[in-house]
Order: sequence, then C-alpha cells, then structure tokens
Amino acid sequence: MRIVVCVKEVLDPDAVNNYALAGRLEIGDDGKTLTQTTIPQLMNGFDEQAIEAALLLRDAGAECTICVVSVGADPANQLRHASALGADEVVGISSPVAEPDAHVVASLLVAHIRSLGGADLVLCGRQASDDDQGVVPALIGEALGMPVVTVASSVELADTSALRVTRVTPDGDEIVEAAMPAVVTISNEIGDPRYPTAANKLKARRVKPTLVGPDDLSLDADALAPRVLLTQQFVPTVQGNCEFISGDTPAELADRLVARLREDKVLP
Amino acid sequence: MTTTAIVVCTWSGARGEVLEEAEAALTLGRKVSVALGGELQWLVVGAMPEGGAEIAQRQGVAVLENIEDAKLAGGQADAFVEALAQYCAERSPRLVLFSQGFDTRLVAPRLAGRLGSGVVVNAVDIEAAADSPLKVTASAYGGDTRVVYELAGAEPCIVSLLANAVLPESVEGAASPSVRNVAVDLSSVEERIRVVEAARTEGPRLEDAEIIVSGGRGLSSPDNYKLVEQLAEALGGLPGASRPLVDEGWVDSSRQVGLTGKITRPGLYVAAGISGASQHMAGCGAAKAIVAINTDPDAAIFRYARYGIVGDCLAILPELIRAAKK
Ligand SMILES: Cc1cc2nc3c(=O)[nH]c(=O)nc-3n(C[C@H](O)[C@H](O)[C@H](O)COP(=O)(O)OP(=O)(O)OC[C@H]3O[C@@H](n4cnc5c(N)ncnc54)[C@H](O)[C@@H]3O)c2cc1C
Repeated sequence: MRIVVCVKEVLDPDAVNNYALAGRLEIGDDGKTLTQTTIPQLMNGFDEQAIEAALLLRDAGAECTICVVSVGADPANQLRHASALGADEVVGISSPVAEPDAHVVASLLVAHIRSLGGADLVLCGRQASDDDQGVVPALIGEALGMPVVTVASSVELADTSALRVTRVTPDGDEIVEAAMPAVVTISNEIGDPRYPTAANKLKARRVKPTLVGPDDLSLDADALAPRVLLTQQFVPTVQGNCEFISGDTPAELADRLVARLREDKVLP
Repeated sequence: MTTTAIVVCTWSGARGEVLEEAEAALTLGRKVSVALGGELQWLVVGAMPEGGAEIAQRQGVAVLENIEDAKLAGGQADAFVEALAQYCAERSPRLVLFSQGFDTRLVAPRLAGRLGSGVVVNAVDIEAAADSPLKVTASAYGGDTRVVYELAGAEPCIVSLLANAVLPESVEGAASPSVRNVAVDLSSVEERIRVVEAARTEGPRLEDAEIIVSGGRGLSSPDNYKLVEQLAEALGGLPGASRPLVDEGWVDSSRQVGLTGKITRPGLYVAAGISGASQHMAGCGAAKAIVAINTDPDAAIFRYARYGIVGDCLAILPELIRAAKK
C-alpha cells in the first residue's frame, strides 16, 4: 500500500511563545509576517507524529511505501529528517502562488497524489502549530473523495482494505473503521515520534528530495486561486491584574487565599 | 432582489454544542447581517433545542430553520456535509457561521471543499461591509497572535467561531422568527466511517465544570497529581492537566485543557505548576477567576491570573486541601 504523509514547516511554537510572553514578538513591515530570524523552522509536531503513525503501521507488518510530501519554499531539511526516520520517498512541491492558502496547498497535494496513481492512506497532522487551522486534510479528502478521520491516537489495519482508528473525542475515545483509501489526521496522543538512528541520519544527508513544480502537475486556474488571504497579524494584549497573596508559610498562604476567594464569592 | 442570508448553523445531538455558544454565534451573525443589510437565519441540524425559539427571538433571528433526518443522528460527518451542501445550493447564503465544536473542525472545511468556498476556523470576530470581502479575525499560534483573513472564493464563506470568543448580547423587541423546516434528500448517503465503539464520557465533563484544579509539569512526578485530584474534590470541582502530563502518560488525555484539549469556562480555575503557555490558556482563559501557584514570579500564568501565590505547589496544595475542607 502507498502511504502519503503531508508535512509542513513551521516556526518553532515554543520560541514564538517565549517571544510573545516577553512582549518581543516582531511583526514585519507588511503587518503580517513574523520576522525574527532567531526563531528556528521545524517540522510541525503533529506532522512528525503523522510520520510516526506511518512507521508504526510498517512496524506492525503492513507492506507499505511511505512517501512524505511538503509544500513549501525550502523543504530540504525536513524532508531529510523524514528520510532519516524511514520515509521511502521524499517530495517537495513548490507553489506557484506566493501566499498559498489551505485550498492551494490541498490542490497541490491532491494533484501530486493523483500523479502517483493515488494513495491508500493519506496521513496529516491534526493541525499546524502556526495557523492552528487544520483544514487541509478535510480539503484533500473532499477533493479525492476519501473519508476523513480526524484526531487519531492510533491507526491500525483492520484487514487488507480497511483501517481501524481510535479518535480522541471530547467524550473519550471513539473507535471507527473506514475502508481505504482514506485520510487520517494524527493527534499527539499517538506518542512521541522516534529519533532517527545515527546511521540513518548519515544516509539521509545524501538523499536528494524529488522536487515537483506546478508544471509537473495538472492544475487549473481555480485550483491555484486562494480563497483565504492573510492581511494582518498582531499580538493580542493580555491585561494582567494579579493580586499576589502573601504569607510566611504555606499554611498561611493557603488560609489567606481561601479566605480571599470566599470574600470575593469565587468560592461559596 | 434577494436578501442576503447570514446563516448560523448549530447542531444538537451526540457532541452537540453548548447552547450558550450557539447564542454567541448568533450575536456575531447578527452583527454581520446588520452590516450587510441581510437576514439572520438560524439553522438547527437535528432536534430543536429546548428554549430555541426564545433564544432566536432575543438574538433577532428572522428565520429559524430546522433539518431533521434519521441519517443525521449517527454523529458522523458524511450526512452533515451532504445536508449542508444541499441547503447551501438551495439558499445561497453569504455566510455560514458555525459555533465551533469537535465535529465542526471537520464538517466546516469539508463543506468548504465541497462548495469551493473559503473557510476559517478558530475565528474570534468578523468585520463585514457592503461590497467588500468579509474580514475574519482568528486565533493563531495557540493564541500568541491574531490573524486577519479576507475571504474570497465562492459563497458562502464558511467560518467557525471559537468558544468563548464572543459574549452573547440580546436585542429588545425583536419579532418572533418565522419557522421553516428544511427538506434534504440524504437517501444516497452511506456513512463511510463506521463507529465500532462509541465514546463514553465517564462522569462529568471538564467543559461543564464550575471549578477546575489543573496541574502542570511543576508537579514534578506523577504521584503528586493526586494532590490536584484531592484539591479538586475538596472544592467540589474536577481535576485537569496541561499537555506534558498527558504526553508523559501521567493522566488520561480527557484531562487535557487547552488548544488541543478541552476548552473550559469555569468560575474558578486553579493552575498549579503550569507556566501559562498560550496553548494552555486557550482552554482556560475564559475562566472567571484563575488562581496561579508557581515558583517563578515571572511565569506567564500570573498575567492571566486574578490571584497568585509565588511558591512551591507541592507545599501549598496540601495546605489548600486542608483549608478548603474547613
Ligand atoms: C500545537 C500545540 C498544541 C498544544 N496544545 C496544548 C494543550 O492543549 N494544552 C496544554 O496544556 N499545552 C499545549 N501545548 C503545549 C504548551 O505549549 C506548553 O508546552 C505546555 O502547556 C506547558 O505545560 P506546563 O505549563 O505544565 O509545563 P512548563 O511550561 O514546563 O511549566 C511548568 C511550570 O511549573 C513551574 N514550577 C516548577 N516547579 C514548581 C513547583 N514546585 N511549584 C510550583 N510551580 C512550579 C515552573 O516555574 C513553570 O512555570 C501545545 C503546544 C503546541 C505546539
């Protein structure tokens, strides 16, 4: 079976967090781009876990080709990482649209999957840690006519043609089955992604990702017409007005806090 | 001339949204429909919620619509997407606004894909003006930033409103809405995803809790999580956690509060040993009062907290348990 894993490069969310908390997150002159060059780029965490989901299927005995695909300007680093983890094919797709939205990204991924002759399973992270949107997998599913199973904590083969997926829902785990081909999105509950071995890292250094451009794919004008345009980005203000409780011992602090909460009717 | 329809879509049933959230979406929908001189419609998929007509009236809904079909009862997406696609084809609304729940995150973008529309989830506001594209403000980077998107593409625009982003406001003296049943033909829909084992909520849900006590990495060992559970119990609340505790396997993922966990809105949220990362605050920032206990006086959590204790939560939690029981 062919598994296609879609990955996105993002700014390190922890670094963004730290800059934002320190009030030092910089937005460029265009009013929308985070410009700090000190923030590293890395593979979106949920996408790395989507690769892990594919590797777990292989570990469990599935005979599969794992193809990792990324749409982006300079995907070489993350594709090498994917290769070191065990991907059989790594493909970078360059977008002809300067600011591709989810629709354009999905169109490019779909066109590539079609050019491969289809996929049995498309794995994506549940959302990207930059825009938090998580809509690309649903768009891929609609375009390819595949069912979309979201927020998975485990993916197994039910038989040779169907998947058994555990979903993390607000009401607890839900177990579902769907015939392949299907799109599945992976959540962090799948577990930490593995580290590549030193030997595989070395080997991956020599791997050259296949680069695909729009000319290699059959795409019409509508497929490349963004629907959602980012026009502005800003850092929301958090007004802090914390009342610090003072006291000499933990017991005193606790008594004073509880008394204060009762006084303010936060507690009965 | 046809009227511009602004449709707020909510659904009842298995993982149905909270009614208060539906009302928040109606308030935002009304703002858009006023700006565009349109008509606010509320489309309820599944059984009409109790008190729905009163909510519709005080939100200034012109038309209260209802789709009911046995195929929508299963809670899977194929029937929803098909029903909404048929509805949109017939009514051509300008905007379909969802109040965001777990299933919306799948249904909204699938509907957009089906219709060729633009879609934005995690929205916190919409600006509308005649003859210009809708501008949707959404949360990004877990809440570290806000982004503004302009929506092009086929209509309707599809937007999913983040929980707790808008406060419901009612209008005085609105007429009672007309009621319309919407017929859809779902006979050809065969749900492609089959539920083998349904989710079972065990006990009360964090989303509904009035008091939540959450622990973070500052607890330093899984054993200490029992302090969080004991304080929650002493206060009559529920225990929650930050994501690292779930990732480490200390607690079940149903306890996770945050962007990719539960979105809660308790009266009191106690955060012990939690740094206050935006992705965590996305799930508890709407609490009426946050109490933070952290050894680091500069921890971000104190910016969101109403009450703070700078100190070791392992020493303070046992004392709080004692004090709460008094
Ligand atoms: C895409 C994405 C989604 C995410 N989704 C979520 C989510 O849904 N929920 C979530 O929680 N996180 C989420 N995260 C992770 C988030 O960014 C933070 O990493 C996480 O919330 C940190 O958890 P923490 O506060 O427990 O740990 P830390 O950030 O390590 O903080 C521990 C805190 O404990 C304090 N401390 C240490 N010892 C003590 C002590 N003895 N007493 C008192 N205080 C002490 C420290 O000063 C520190 O402030 C997400 C991240 C990403 C990138």
